[in-house]
Amino acid sequence: MKRNLNILLSLVVLAGMILTACGGAAATQAPSSNATEEPSTSATEAPAPTEAPAENKVATFIWTQEFTTLSPLYASGWFTTTTQQFWNCWAWLYDETNTPFPSLVTEIPSLENGGISEDGLTITMHLRDDIKWSDNEPITSEDFRFTWAMTVDPKNTVNSTYPYDKVSAIETPDPQTVVMKFDAPFAAWLILWKGIAPAHILQPVYDADGTLDNADWNNNPTVGCGSYNFAEWESGSFARFVRNDNFYDEPAKINEIFIRFVPDDTSQTNALVAGDADLGLFVPYSETPKLKEAGVTIMTEPSGYNESWFFQVSEEFSHPAMLDVNVRKAIAMSIDFASFDRDVNLDVVKVPGSFWDSLPFYNDPAVQPYPYDPEAAKALLDAAGWIDSNGDGTRDKDGVEFVIQHGTTTREVRQELQAVAQQQLAEVGIKLEILNYDPDIFFGSYSDGAPVYTGELDIQEWSDAPAFPDPDIYYWLCSEIPSAENPSGSNSFYICDEELDALLQLQATQLDPAQRQETISKINQIFHDKVYWIGAWQDPDVWAVGSRLSGVKFSGVSPFFNITEWDIK
Amino acid sequence: MLQYIIKRLFQGIPLLIILSLALFLLMMNLGDPIATMGGRTLTRPEDRERLMRQLGLDKPIAVQYLYWLIGNTWTKIDSDGDGIPDKNGTRLGILRGDFGTSLVTRKPVTEMIGERIPNTLILMVASEIVTIVFALVLGIYSALRQYSTLDNILTALLFIGYSMPVFFISLMSMYIFAVLFKKWGWPYLPTVGMFDPQVGKTSAQVLWHMVLPVISLSVIYFAAYSRYIRSTMLEVLSQDYIRTAKSKGLPRRQVVYVHALKNAALPIVTVIGLDLPFLLGGAVVTERIFAWPGMGRLFLDHLSRADISVVMGILMLVATAVVIFQIITDIIYAWLDPRIRYN
Repeated sequence: MKRNLNILLSLVVLAGMILTACGGAAATQAPSSNATEEPSTSATEAPAPTEAPAENKVATFIWTQEFTTLSPLYASGWFTTTTQQFWNCWAWLYDETNTPFPSLVTEIPSLENGGISEDGLTITMHLRDDIKWSDNEPITSEDFRFTWAMTVDPKNTVNSTYPYDKVSAIETPDPQTVVMKFDAPFAAWLILWKGIAPAHILQPVYDADGTLDNADWNNNPTVGCGSYNFAEWESGSFARFVRNDNFYDEPAKINEIFIRFVPDDTSQTNALVAGDADLGLFVPYSETPKLKEAGVTIMTEPSGYNESWFFQVSEEFSHPAMLDVNVRKAIAMSIDFASFDRDVNLDVVKVPGSFWDSLPFYNDPAVQPYPYDPEAAKALLDAAGWIDSNGDGTRDKDGVEFVIQHGTTTREVRQELQAVAQQQLAEVGIKLEILNYDPDIFFGSYSDGAPVYTGELDIQEWSDAPAFPDPDIYYWLCSEIPSAENPSGSNSFYICDEELDALLQLQATQLDPAQRQETISKINQIFHDKVYWIGAWQDPDVWAVGSRLSGVKFSGVSPFFNITEWDIK
Repeated sequence: MLQYIIKRLFQGIPLLIILSLALFLLMMNLGDPIATMGGRTLTRPEDRERLMRQLGLDKPIAVQYLYWLIGNTWTKIDSDGDGIPDKNGTRLGILRGDFGTSLVTRKPVTEMIGERIPNTLILMVASEIVTIVFALVLGIYSALRQYSTLDNILTALLFIGYSMPVFFISLMSMYIFAVLFKKWGWPYLPTVGMFDPQVGKTSAQVLWHMVLPVISLSVIYFAAYSRYIRSTMLEVLSQDYIRTAKSKGLPRRQVVYVHALKNAALPIVTVIGLDLPFLLGGAVVTERIFAWPGMGRLFLDHLSRADISVVMGILMLVATAVVIFQIITDIIYAWLDPRIRYN
């Protein structure tokens, strides 16, 4: 018996040792080629330090959500698309003012330089002749044509074909010229070409498999065109990108970007405070004082997003009070968003007046948010005939109580705003019923009966943006109203405003920025005057930059536009 | 014995199929996996319709379950999402070893699970070993020194440990041993991950990064285990054969570790045997807090995205492990105690 127990115990210990060795032993060596084999310098002072090469600079970034793929074709979601900027390349990048500048092209096409045709149906790009993939193959117009063709090819299960499905054809008269053809003018064309796929690598895969869905390159892009090369990705743990010494522009100063995946904000904050990370993002506003105290710099960058209240205005579904614009104004004036942003969001963000708040060019003249004025709100409600005739504390009219429903996701800060709004609306005699859903249920489809499509929510809340940095929006189009015949419609507010509809359609085709600005301004004013939308707070990208990093700038569109200039002090 | 094992294995198959059906039905209520695919950007309705067809999510639940179970190579699927089935499917089904493909990453589920299992086992086996060793030492000591001052102190401390939720222990230990220690200029422990990127993934680094999660996991379990060992040891120590051994003049060490412990170990083996399969599932909370890339995090990450293939794969793996480990526990039981016969 004793012998048996000893054997059992030995086996357990041995298994533990083998597993430790399998998982831990040198599966990943020290970050770069000039790093030592043995543990050298530890930020945590643990395994004994030896000698750290001075030139080995590793920056650790914290991602609170793991990217799902590395392929630009299959990418969706912020972390996925953003990570590609390390190893992939865009036709043009955006600086810290979100102004585009050429990257792969010699100049950005415009009506002035002849890159955009008079009818707006042809856009021609000229590529630089010195751009190349990390394997030294030149980047050519064929790579652009291939990227477009693969994105719209139904054999590939890409998450979204937009905006490439707006391009009807691509011609490649020579290796440095890309000619895009459109069936109708597409004003938002600048949102194209955020990443390209190497035709010389992927075309043979497509020819063999008939799809790129299972291409190894999707998760192991051995060939790229960014300032870093992909090195390694261990799911759930980390990803490494090492400097691309073949980069066609100035090489990066930092040798390696190490991305560590953590599951939540708390882990991120602890890692930043403990010095285990150099960069974090989407930091909760409540954590910013703690981070600042630890020497972490907080940087915010407009990303086009605003936490938004979308009003449902529908004869069929809405509460009758919501059909009156003065009642909607009263609601907007009953809630003290500014105090909420000061007290709960710690003044990191402000109340946006416009859906285009972070696009100053289009938010011109700048629309201001409705002031918090409960007395004026009460007067508007009285004038609209909504009074508390039965003394129950809630206004009513023609026997209908003013009870409306507000729905959003389960995100904590949204629930806090709901509670505040419920209380403040009660003070003016409006009863707000609040509802919360998991995001995958809330944002479900019309066919699945998702809450936003049921018509039961008079006010819907989430964070949204135009096609940033383009001002395009389409939700409010009459043709987007969902129904059994049109289940894919996205107008969950059931608003069909003919004037607004015409302007929305017009701006989507205007290639002249000045003309488009004029149209967007009109839309902006309609949104404000008719109270179809009100903002709760701006929702910028909030970055936490550790004290070791220098030269850091961010853009709200291409956050790492100057990553090659970043350094470690 | 062989006949017994085969019989038990065959009994497990229908059990697993019924379980899979129940779980699959539950999974269908998780939500819409396509709704959050675009992250902050809402999935465009036309993309949603296409993806629903391409990924087979537009099929009735019964058909989806059938595809998951036996594959879809026998029928045409709508691979291009135009609403018309165009070619035969490629899924083999779980009965043929194909766990499917993740809706989120498009990677095979077996590959994703295979990447995480070693990390989970490193953490969980280490925690289990620490738990068992400390539980044995403290449990035996408490049994031999029943109601002594130290036994009372240990009992109080163990109850405190047992009553604390694991997330509290994890966050508290992280705050004290990493954040505060660093603030005070003392050597401090790492907060997240399996290694320091400045150093690389070496055995020493992995062990160093395991310290906090292992402590957090062990505190709870070893509090429970040690109380269990204490009570079984107390029961055995009062048996006649122990008194006989003592009266024969056997050394105390032999009485305790050979005669008492081996008999007290039998129920403990059962408890450990029932716990082992859950090691595969990982520690959801601890892995999440310490960013340990194990099965628990994989489960949670994909559960929140309604990634049915991955969640079902993990659940079925754990369910299968439960069935197998119960059989193994029975076999070990018979091996340790010759009185037990299964024929």
